[in-house]
Amino acid sequence: MENNLYLAWSPDATIQGMGSSGGAVTALLRCALENQMVDAVLAVKKRNNSRFDAVPTLITDPELVHETAGAMHFAPLNMVKIIKEYLDGAMDMRVAVTCKPCDARAFIELAKRNQVRRENLFLVGLNCSGTYLPTVAEQMIREAFGENPQDLAGEEVDEGKLIITLKDGSTKEKDLEELVRQGYEMRENCLRCSYKVPRMADIACGKWGNNGKSATFIEICSPKGHEFLDAAAQNGALVMEPATNEQIEKRKQKETEAVENAQAREKQEIEAFKRYSSEERLKYWLGHLSRCIKCFGCRDACPICFCKECYLEPYRGCIPGGETPPDIMFQLIRLSHVADSCVNCGQCQDACPMEIPLTRLYSVLNSELADIFDYKPGVDIDQPPPLTTVTEQELSIDAPDIIGENSSDR
Amino acid sequence: MSGKPNDFSPKILAFLCNWCSYAGADLAGVSRMQYPSNIRVIRFMCTGRIDPIFIIKALTNGVDGVLIAGCHPGECHYGKGNLYTRRRVLMTKKLLECIGIEPERLHLAWVAASEGPKFAEVVKDFTEQTKNLGPNPLAVLTKQERTVL
Ligand code: SF4
Ligand code: SF4
Ligand code: SF4
Ligand code: FES
Repeated sequence: MENNLYLAWSPDATIQGMGSSGGAVTALLRCALENQMVDAVLAVKKRNNSRFDAVPTLITDPELVHETAGAMHFAPLNMVKIIKEYLDGAMDMRVAVTCKPCDARAFIELAKRNQVRRENLFLVGLNCSGTYLPTVAEQMIREAFGENPQDLAGEEVDEGKLIITLKDGSTKEKDLEELVRQGYEMRENCLRCSYKVPRMADIACGKWGNNGKSATFIEICSPKGHEFLDAAAQNGALVMEPATNEQIEKRKQKETEAVENAQAREKQEIEAFKRYSSEERLKYWLGHLSRCIKCFGCRDACPICFCKECYLEPYRGCIPGGETPPDIMFQLIRLSHVADSCVNCGQCQDACPMEIPLTRLYSVLNSELADIFDYKPGVDIDQPPPLTTVTEQELSIDAPDIIGENSSDR
Repeated sequence: MSGKPNDFSPKILAFLCNWCSYAGADLAGVSRMQYPSNIRVIRFMCTGRIDPIFIIKALTNGVDGVLIAGCHPGECHYGKGNLYTRRRVLMTKKLLECIGIEPERLHLAWVAASEGPKFAEVVKDFTEQTKNLGPNPLAVLTKQERTVL
């Protein structure tokens, strides 16, 4: 088997100093641009040099690649909507995009629906162990860490701890559980997210397994990933070294631990939900949804929502205009549209000014459907979405409530 | 509508496929078969036209049950419309369950044009089932209650 696990870093001292783990991602993106393997790079950039405010930035000049910020745990953006809405789904432009696992999964779902052109995208996946809302993070740095948020130079979630680096080079760490007790929790969707290494992207990059070395552990996940890395190595932009067994083991151990925690959390949520009676659920959701001010934030932020003629608009005759809160139909339409394909990215909930726990609703339905349809959104680009596909085999199943082996265990 | 479940007469919306179940209903009618008069029928050219939103909208508008009947798998006049519907109904039932509306308020059945007796049976059983569930919880709440709970 061709080796696909490497440690990589930039031989250039300046790039190495700027990137967080040996500057491998920065060097790779720069090399891709220089050699015209892509037309542009889409990445995140800090705004006003703050780690709590990120803006997406499209770069065509290789000299400017170093301005991108790598992983931002306190300013989660979604890159998918930007490609879809503002870059015409990369239909006629080759773009390298840095993406968290949830971004990568949303790209896969949109590619299945012909909303983005997968062949034109080079997905540079960044491992993710969770993100915080900027407001929560800022307060946490100030109060729990006792530091000025403006002094923050970097942050990292590792082995159940949040580790921050300050501008003077010093580091501080706190137990995640302790932080939760003080009221500082990650975004809810991150707690239940078990996709920590984005293997649906072309490469998956992270610190796990670098074992203290100033290098990035890269897993190559597609032929395109090989192509880009080979080019970078040949051009001398990257130094690559096959990962040792020890490094691979360490990474695996960290990933397993993170995934198990997330799965336990998800299971706990689903069990809690199942304990509620029908009346209790209805009361719970009517209570939350009655706060909706119909700002359309959830729809506009969601990478999966892409209809041009949206059912939520008054002219479609389903939700009357000028009424707040809207009838629960408003959220149920959205729920039915993302039911099978929500990637739990949390953008809807972040956008909601009324703090309605939307992903809680979507994720429960999504996990129930995953069992019935044997489908995990955003993982396999060759698996069509379950509500827009049927199989030949189903022609010969007569039962009205069974579509295959899995569907009967309702 | 009174509170006692026994006298409760549910309102049921039936979405029927033109080619099979609608004809099956016709056959039940001309054969003078007895079945409960709780259903109001909407005819579709194929069950494949039924958007889950139609079902959800009917329920949030207060009907007590939604019955969908179409051609048996393999017999859909457009090939696989009914197979899509089967998947969508599976999804919609779960959706209803998640927000707290009993999924049993939605029922899918296959009824061919020749199956008049089956049509009567399906309507009878589903009416009974809906009756046992009692009124749709959303129909009982006033608009005010629905939005200030
Ligand atoms: S949902 Fe998962 S991939 Fe997305 S930010 Fe949270 S932990 Fe990272
Ligand atoms: S519904 Fe929310 S969590 Fe799901 S994909 Fe859309 S924005 Fe992300
Ligand atoms: S973001 Fe929140 S308030 Fe705005 S429309 Fe969506 S649910 Fe309603
Ligand atoms: S034609 Fe009857 S279900 Fe499609």
